[in-house]
Amino acid sequence: MKFKSKHISITIFILFAAVPVLLGFGYALLYSFGLTGILSEGFTTEYWEKTLLATEFWKSLGFSLFIAAVVMTTSLFFSLWIVISWTKNLYKGLLSYVTYLPLAFPAIVMAFFSFQLLSKSGFISRVIFNLGWIDDLSQFPDWTNDAYGVAIIFSLCLLITPFFIILYSNLYQNERIPELKALAQTLGAKKNQITTRIIVPILLKKSAFTIMLFLIFVMGTYEIPLLLGRQDPSMLSVFIIQKLQKFNLADIPQAYAVSVIYILLIATLIAVVYKTRPAFFNPEKN
Amino acid sequence: MKKVHIYLILITAVLITACGGKEKEENSIDLTSASWEEIEKEAHGKTVNMMMWSGDPKINSYMKNYVAPAMKERHNIDVELSNGQGNAVVQLIMTEKQAGKKSNIDMMWINGETFYQLRQVKGLYGPFVDQLPNAQYIDLDNPFIGTDFQEPINGMETPWGNVQMTLIYNSDNVTDLPQSREDLLDFVKANPGKFTFDNHFTGLTFLKALLIDIAGGKDALAGDFNEEKYNKYSAQLWSYVKELQPYLWKNGEAFPQNVAQMHQLFASGELLFTMSNNDAEVDNKINEGVFAASSRAYVPEFGTIQNSHYLGIASDAVDKAAAMVMINFMISPEAQLEKQNPDVWGDGTVLKLDRLSQEFQEKFQNIPSRKQAPNRKDIQEKALQELAPEYMIRLAEDFRTEIINS
Repeated sequence: MKFKSKHISITIFILFAAVPVLLGFGYALLYSFGLTGILSEGFTTEYWEKTLLATEFWKSLGFSLFIAAVVMTTSLFFSLWIVISWTKNLYKGLLSYVTYLPLAFPAIVMAFFSFQLLSKSGFISRVIFNLGWIDDLSQFPDWTNDAYGVAIIFSLCLLITPFFIILYSNLYQNERIPELKALAQTLGAKKNQITTRIIVPILLKKSAFTIMLFLIFVMGTYEIPLLLGRQDPSMLSVFIIQKLQKFNLADIPQAYAVSVIYILLIATLIAVVYKTRPAFFNPEKN
Repeated sequence: MKKVHIYLILITAVLITACGGKEKEENSIDLTSASWEEIEKEAHGKTVNMMMWSGDPKINSYMKNYVAPAMKERHNIDVELSNGQGNAVVQLIMTEKQAGKKSNIDMMWINGETFYQLRQVKGLYGPFVDQLPNAQYIDLDNPFIGTDFQEPINGMETPWGNVQMTLIYNSDNVTDLPQSREDLLDFVKANPGKFTFDNHFTGLTFLKALLIDIAGGKDALAGDFNEEKYNKYSAQLWSYVKELQPYLWKNGEAFPQNVAQMHQLFASGELLFTMSNNDAEVDNKINEGVFAASSRAYVPEFGTIQNSHYLGIASDAVDKAAAMVMINFMISPEAQLEKQNPDVWGDGTVLKLDRLSQEFQEKFQNIPSRKQAPNRKDIQEKALQELAPEYMIRLAEDFRTEIINS
């Protein structure tokens, strides 16, 4: 009976998680080589060549990596700082609600919220204008649709940081950090040393796999960069949709080629980590 | 090995079950030779799935609270509306065709570029327009109605409404309206960061109007796509846009993603102009409280594109008869009259008024007048016809390479 239920659960997992992804990948691969699609004219490497030779694609990839790296670094810094500094307060009172509130925001709502807050005619700009710090709203810095993705980074950090706060506050207790902290103190360690040599390394090591998953998630995010980013450079997801859904149907195979390259890059990254650091996939062994 | 077999059997069984879903049954009569009475009888009690852009509350309300109840009451037809436009419609139909499945949508609201794409993938049913009794009232001889992106509609889509692009401004902030390309350049230079156009359909429509003006006006680019003309005049267009670029919003390094974002920037005062493909939209947005009451709309002397929007039936639609009955109602004088009322939607009619009964002619003439939107007769002489679809494809591509990525 136990054997049977195990089979069923594995089958369900394969059916609903693995099969659709593999089928989708196969379809994208065929489409990118002109082997399927209503307007397909047979096998061609044209779309792959176009993609790989386009500076726009590499800029998009680089920009996505940049945004993901900055968002993760900032979110991790703030979540670790909040958990370490406010551990006790996180479980009670107004702070416990306020900290987790952004989790209730869908990405598109967060994007609009950031736009209203950070644009030249937004809330912050108007406050500063009324304080007399700027003479005209246009003097307010470009934080939305800007070259460095300031509003994208801001929105994604707001969405992700609460998640890591929850994760780290749980790990803080589960890994018995208060006990380790007390022990280190009795051995004469300074506050800084306890934070940088005990608490932070433990929390980061235990959450390494989650961090990698979030890095991949941020790279693939769509609504926020669509509304708050610019057209050049654009994040990969926006670049793909641009090719997939604009006026030229002949661009669709190129969109699939970009998707396949992106999936292959991510899969390679995961495979390399799995091969070199198998324990990375098993937090218990970390 | 045995385990792998068990998994394969289980997965195959579930997949077969999943793929064997029931499809709606297709119409049982030959619609091409059926009389209208037979088509109405066939449509009775069916459900029409319509895909349409759902970004305007007034339009949604017209469909949900006027069209759908009328269809239920008169023909016992249920109307299911789903959100989707342009490429979403094309992608869905392409996928269904590839899968060899009947379409999940019966009819859709389309315009020129979608018409072009759907014809490329043979995604439209037809010709069917001549079979609709109310088609006799449509002004098909009008090139802004009977021709879609320079292509005769040939009965493959039914004109539903007609609009012209306008520039919207706040009369408290802008008094001297730019009328020519030179005026616009001077205005933008004098008001840096306060003008732009979106990176989507509306922005491209604006660029098309500039291209036509550069090429020599109204009929300069009429007819099929002309590579030589395009290369010549688009080079001048990009040179003009590059002159504008440093003075555009965000120094022309970014463009609003769509017209909704432009409206928001205009409403908050960040932009002095927004644009709309619906000449009545300024009234709608003032009524909704989105735009200031001092907002106005106008068409510059160099003209703007006037185009029609259409209703099409998917080539693999199941309830084609019901879709035809619904389209026939939507182009009826009463439905068109309701739609043209600025308090309802304000969409221009596609009917030729002198073909209507005296009663309807009077009703159309007595529609509550527009408030801040320009009079249709006044802007008609500045109306430019849509260009062949290849112009739009090339403009979209070259806009990226020449302006965005430059």
